[in-house]
Amino acid sequence: MNQKLSEKLSALFSLKIGNISPLLEEPGKIHFGSDSNLMDDDEIADLSAEFLSLMVELLGSKNPDDRKSLEFHALEMFFASLSHKILMRGGRVEEVVRYTQFLQYALIEALEKDSGILFTESRSVLHYFTSIFNELIMAVFRAYLEERERVLEAQEAELRETATPITEIWDGVLTLPIIGTLDSSRTMLVMEALLNRVAKDHADVVVMDLTGVQNIDSQVSHHLIQIVRAVQLMGSSAIITGIQPEIARALISLNIDLSGVTTRASLSDGLKEAFRRLGIQVSHKAS
Amino acid sequence: MIPGLHLTRIGREAFLLEPSRSLNIRDEARLVEHIAGKLQQAKASCLYYDLAELALIDPVYYAWLSALARTMAAINVRMICIHMQPTAAFSLSGFIAGNPPFETALDIPDVHFTGSPV
Repeated sequence: MNQKLSEKLSALFSLKIGNISPLLEEPGKIHFGSDSNLMDDDEIADLSAEFLSLMVELLGSKNPDDRKSLEFHALEMFFASLSHKILMRGGRVEEVVRYTQFLQYALIEALEKDSGILFTESRSVLHYFTSIFNELIMAVFRAYLEERERVLEAQEAELRETATPITEIWDGVLTLPIIGTLDSSRTMLVMEALLNRVAKDHADVVVMDLTGVQNIDSQVSHHLIQIVRAVQLMGSSAIITGIQPEIARALISLNIDLSGVTTRASLSDGLKEAFRRLGIQVSHKAS
Repeated sequence: MIPGLHLTRIGREAFLLEPSRSLNIRDEARLVEHIAGKLQQAKASCLYYDLAELALIDPVYYAWLSALARTMAAINVRMICIHMQPTAAFSLSGFIAGNPPFETALDIPDVHFTGSPV
């Protein structure tokens, strides 16, 4: 960093820039207050004051141009945390980016007013602030991406739960109704969840109901047979129910060998078969 | 005594085989002869092979299990693999085409438990 710029920044720092705090609230009010209702006036005032105090710290640091300094890191963290907060409240990343840009203009304008220096005539200072704010916008985007990733992971975990609703319907009998499209990744999820559950519950019989499955391809049908085989290898028996005519036709045309697989027309037939294997008799109560 | 091979009588005609990591399955012929000899001597009709410690069954291990199961069938002993882990079942189901030459069960039925080491 050149000496001249450092001196200019120091000169700015020596100003009583605490006075400009109200001016910096304007971008916050425009982007997070009024219609969007993401923050109230008190929060916006606190936000502006915190930003200003961090900026003062940076400008007053040994080397204000050092992107690895603690002061700059604190400023980055401020924007990352703001980004998280706005996204959590239902705001959009564009609003945080626009706020950051407006904050830059407001800061420059306020400093110009306070110092009486026209920054359009002092390109080095203008360049300094632009590069600082560019980095801060990057911090906003990084926080946005982190938040998106976290949301996606949570959604995936939820999907995994709902994609494999395994229920122990009777002691030693597990049911797994599969609804929707079975693709390879979902079939692998089903396999993992089901085999772990068989081991955990010591299930004797597993009934897999495919009534809600409309489409199946070659790879998935092989995976299905693999699930049945793996369940049998663990010492349980597997029953597949509710194979729709289109699925049955697809399995035959794909040359899938169903000879070692017990199938039943409906889930209730599958349960009856499971009970029969376990020696359980379900009957109407005598009137 | 063969390292890695623990054979325990668990009933009048049943035995439990618990292999440990030191079991050298490359020494297949010697192992099979030893196990078959013990079972014949004890007039066993059933051998439970415990797979609880095995996280993965690859083609080499499957070949060993198959060889032992076929030998057991030759001396009229049922071989039942128990406690197969989900990961092992997954790996095995990926490469075998039909039914394996051994039976599988979740656990040993309660009727067998009175065991003493052989």
